[in-house]
Amino acid sequence: MTEYLHLMDLSHLPRFGVKGPAAVAWLQSQGISVPDRPNSWKPLSDGGLVARLGLNEFLLEGSAIAPQLAQACQPPPPRVYPVLRQDRAICLRGRAVQELLRQTCNVNFRALDLNTHPVILTTLIGVSVTVIPGEQAGLPFYRIWCDGTFGTYFWSTLAEITAELGGRSDRTTQSP
Amino acid sequence: MTCPINGARPITEFAYGGEFRPMPDLQVVEDEAWADYVFHRNSVPGIRREWWCHLPSTTWFIAERNTGSDEILRTYLYGEHR
Repeated sequence: MTEYLHLMDLSHLPRFGVKGPAAVAWLQSQGISVPDRPNSWKPLSDGGLVARLGLNEFLLEGSAIAPQLAQACQPPPPRVYPVLRQDRAICLRGRAVQELLRQTCNVNFRALDLNTHPVILTTLIGVSVTVIPGEQAGLPFYRIWCDGTFGTYFWSTLAEITAELGGRSDRTTQSP
Repeated sequence: MTCPINGARPITEFAYGGEFRPMPDLQVVEDEAWADYVFHRNSVPGIRREWWCHLPSTTWFIAERNTGSDEILRTYLYGEHR
């Protein structure tokens, strides 16, 4: 069933957000290789990722690097602004993911070239989200973040649709 | 509507930010022209430059829209306006 459609809650993963005109230089000084252009992402050495959400705004997620950066950013250097990230973070995986996305989102994710590491900022069930489409073990694999205040609605609605489609949702799953 | 950064998206992802109205130079403006800028709005249907925002990415940009037919003619970032 998990290969068919699996909704997982990854909100427990440590995250760190940063923005500002000097954010790129500061991240590089911390040893982070940042994506070259907005709306793209790169993997981190600890298994996490860094997503470039705009010219000067970044979302980082990773069990080692995110807390390390949050500490290094206290107090923040000039023109670098830490961003509190209390997202509801989820993962959708399985052969039927597209069926769920077609019901809930207007973006045609299948038209994207995964080799370019795209980051999509759009709405899903009416909530602003950041989406990273990918593939894991030959199955579609989507990471999705939304503001934590929408978390209960976001999770329960997606869990309901997942169940309707015959999939499984799992709130306690650790990082895959 | 087409966001200059994120591409074509449904209109529900966008918010209207008012007509694009360059502010008069505060150092030289006459009171009458300033009052006109502050209080008056143009409601005649026609092609207008407007501020719009792509909400998920908070990208502000300019859209040229025919307010009579609600037809969006083109969109571009502020720095690219001509």
